[in-house]
Amino acid sequence: MTTEETVRYAPEHTPRLSWAQHAPEVYKAMLRLDTAARRGLDPRLLELVKIRASQLNHCAFCLDMHSKDALAAGESVERIIQLGAWEESKHFYTEKEAAALELTDAVTVLTDGFVPDEVYDHAAKHFEEAELAQLIAAITVINAWNRFGVTCRMVPGHYEAGKHQ
Amino acid sequence: MSRTEVLDPEVGRTLSALSASAKRGLGDPALAELVVIRASQLNHCAFCLDMHLGIAREHGVSEKQLDLLAAWEEAEGVYDERERAALALTEAVTVLTEGFVPDAVWATAAEQFDDGQLAHLIGLVVAINNWNRVMVARRIPPGGHRP
Repeated sequence: MTTEETVRYAPEHTPRLSWAQHAPEVYKAMLRLDTAARRGLDPRLLELVKIRASQLNHCAFCLDMHSKDALAAGESVERIIQLGAWEESKHFYTEKEAAALELTDAVTVLTDGFVPDEVYDHAAKHFEEAELAQLIAAITVINAWNRFGVTCRMVPGHYEAGKHQ
Repeated sequence: MSRTEVLDPEVGRTLSALSASAKRGLGDPALAELVVIRASQLNHCAFCLDMHLGIAREHGVSEKQLDLLAAWEEAEGVYDERERAALALTEAVTVLTEGFVPDAVWATAAEQFDDGQLAHLIGLVVAINNWNRVMVARRIPPGGHRP
């Protein structure tokens, strides 16, 4: 391969619907909800949770956004990459972060069952009650953004870190 | 260990605002309840099912439509084309972890709903998925909702 060779990537898809333009009140409510749900949570933990939920929900746009935001906030490449297999790379994370990721997985994949008691109890050991309630809310909110992103096929790759923070 | 009943008041208010704006924009309260109940079935939210089955009856949704909702695809003659398109989209948007929202499902919904309705319908599915998550995660028992 020479440096002159141009790599041809697959063409970029177009989004299905500009949902925020067609439902501005819904978009405004989402922004307010996002702000409310992140209060009291460690921003670094929040990005890990957002990336993990976006992996499970296959939201390309959200992965692009939150990986860039996490990197810009000083998160390590290794910790972002290992999120896809965090259960086997727990030593990359604090016990508190791992408990949050475990809860993220359970709350995100609701259609396969409930949120197991051991998962909830484990999180409750690491988070005091108000913080735990906020964590549940934050997991819910990234699930919401994932649903808009995937359903409307929002296009990844154009996000600049910090744009939506 | 029992689970928390805590939900930050501002989170609660904004969750409600999201639901209300989506429902208002869709402009079809009976259809909205079918959508919300179907998502709550998929997410196994007992609180949400109890609440919205009550609201659906208040909006005049028929017992037959409520009874057969879990098997709507096989219930010929019970749901019209618009309802079926909305239910198919609801399922696809709710069960994201198993794949994407198929083009066929999207195309069928886009035939039945204009862009504004579609944006609000998606908003409604997202909003009930939010409630399902905050209720299921905290194991809030059914029966707590008073109209």
